[in-house]
Amino acid sequence: MRYREIKNRRKAVKGNKTGLLTRIRNNKLAYLLITPAIIGMILIHFIPIVSGIIMSFLKLNQFTLKQFLKAPFIGLDNYKAILFDPKSTIRSGFFDALRNTAIFGLICSVLVIGIAFLLAILLNRQFKFRGLARTLLMTPWVVPSFVVGMLWGFMWQNDGIINKVLVDVFHILPEKPFWLTGPMVMVAIIIPTIWRQVPFVMLMLLAGLQQIPDEYYEASKIDGANAWNRFYHVTLPLLRSVLSIQILNGIINYVYSFNIVAMMFGHGAGFPGRYGDLLMTNINRNSFQIWQFGTGAAATVIVMLCVMLLVAIWYKVFQNDLVVSD
Amino acid sequence: MNYRKRKKMYNFIANMVLIIFVCLAIAPIIWMVITSLMTQGEIVTGKFGVPMHFVNYLEMWEDVNFFQYFKNSIIICTSTTAVALSIATLAGYAVARFKFPGSNIFGATVLATQMVPGIMFLLPLYLMFIQIQDILGIRLINTYQGVVIVYSAFFIPFSIWILRGFFASIPLELEEAAIIDGCSRFGAFVRVILPVARVGLIATGVYIFLMAWDELLFAWVLTTSADVATIPVGIRLYVGNYQNRYDLLMAAGCVTTLPVLIMFFGLQKYFVTGMTAGAVKG
Repeated sequence: MRYREIKNRRKAVKGNKTGLLTRIRNNKLAYLLITPAIIGMILIHFIPIVSGIIMSFLKLNQFTLKQFLKAPFIGLDNYKAILFDPKSTIRSGFFDALRNTAIFGLICSVLVIGIAFLLAILLNRQFKFRGLARTLLMTPWVVPSFVVGMLWGFMWQNDGIINKVLVDVFHILPEKPFWLTGPMVMVAIIIPTIWRQVPFVMLMLLAGLQQIPDEYYEASKIDGANAWNRFYHVTLPLLRSVLSIQILNGIINYVYSFNIVAMMFGHGAGFPGRYGDLLMTNINRNSFQIWQFGTGAAATVIVMLCVMLLVAIWYKVFQNDLVVSD
Repeated sequence: MNYRKRKKMYNFIANMVLIIFVCLAIAPIIWMVITSLMTQGEIVTGKFGVPMHFVNYLEMWEDVNFFQYFKNSIIICTSTTAVALSIATLAGYAVARFKFPGSNIFGATVLATQMVPGIMFLLPLYLMFIQIQDILGIRLINTYQGVVIVYSAFFIPFSIWILRGFFASIPLELEEAAIIDGCSRFGAFVRVILPVARVGLIATGVYIFLMAWDELLFAWVLTTSADVATIPVGIRLYVGNYQNRYDLLMAAGCVTTLPVLIMFFGLQKYFVTGMTAGAVKG
């Protein structure tokens, strides 16, 4: 009896080709185990997503809100207002936000991966205060993002500590710039994001680095490879799978970035001006301040399609690097 | 000789770069602690001596009813962690150990949910909750259970993914031995696999707690009354329409960061090994 159960398990793990019904019957426990997760995902993920997509075709504002899915159907009008209507302020706001998010995402991705990689390599040596250095470098990631937004918003103020250090102490800049209005806003939101995101990526890359056996480096040294060659031909190829996951994480994180900006620019969803408005703050403001829920939903769907396109490109590029871990 | 010199030089530069980055990493946090100990006047004028104004840490609880928000956050995040972790553990184990019809679809769906932005759920969920309240009379808006349900469901997919990797790394023979010794399948999972997977469970739990502590968007919409609202809702009250109490705001920031900081560094060892086992690989 016990023996047969084990044999079944072996078969189940290998996934052999018996009849579908038998396989379903053999895996009763598995279905039982995933049932709670499936119920949760249907109630909180699928039903809301489907209603959200339906909402993007409805005229849903503060007057029709109570009707929910029975609000008047207006076809593609919400999408037209966002993408094509030249007079609509929603359109110009959306495209500003789209441009800003693209710049923001690109700069953050490059800098976060770059800095995290540098730090991971520097930490992957034997030295005295290694544990302490890693711990201290990890702290920004533990600070809640809404505290990060609030803290940096305070530090970026015109008479705040950053201007004091840059202008009064080190004289790097001739006069105090306004970080929280105008074009400099982009700097003011990129730096805290990098500051908080680097530690986590660094930790993952460091773990990846530690899995590379020393012998590889010794062998390449004997073959006469210099430091750059060793990095380019040993480290980088072996870290591609870790890097690819972090790049995917980054794409999703930065496009959907909300907390830091929303908190830094005060009440409501926070409006950092047209040079710093991101997609998520823009959509949130359209939905909850001017009550255009239909257009908000349509904008979300457009953004989601963009992200899916990015993920598809990501998949094409890194397809061969993904480790199937079983 | 030349080689050793160069090695020494490299190490020196590497240490310097690390020191600079460590300073950049902790300077803002230190500044938060310093301003939390200054008086409001010192912050405005920018002239301050040794920051010793500890009264801020007493005043912050009186000026805004911060204790209530803090308590709400603790209750909501702890329950979310418990619920999400138990459900994700079951599902993660199933995906790692069974090749059942539909397991690939399930795994792909779990990943796909990560591509949908929170705002996509926010309004439909809010309206659904209102409808449920109108039709069935179950209150979900401004209640602990409403927030906990939403948060748990949110963090389940990613947790399944981490735990799946972790369970897959445990040798199959462990369960087989337990089954031969007379355990049922489920018994083997509970008695043998769960203790072995402790590190992964703790890592995932820490991750869920940190994410829940950090959540802002849903808290602003689903918890509006002070009885259930979490810290991100309450902390904005310090910067009000009439006065900006940055001293109290920074004190509240420190108090908010402290619990997660202690938890994270207390469990850092587990977190690092657990996360890297499950999340490094795809």
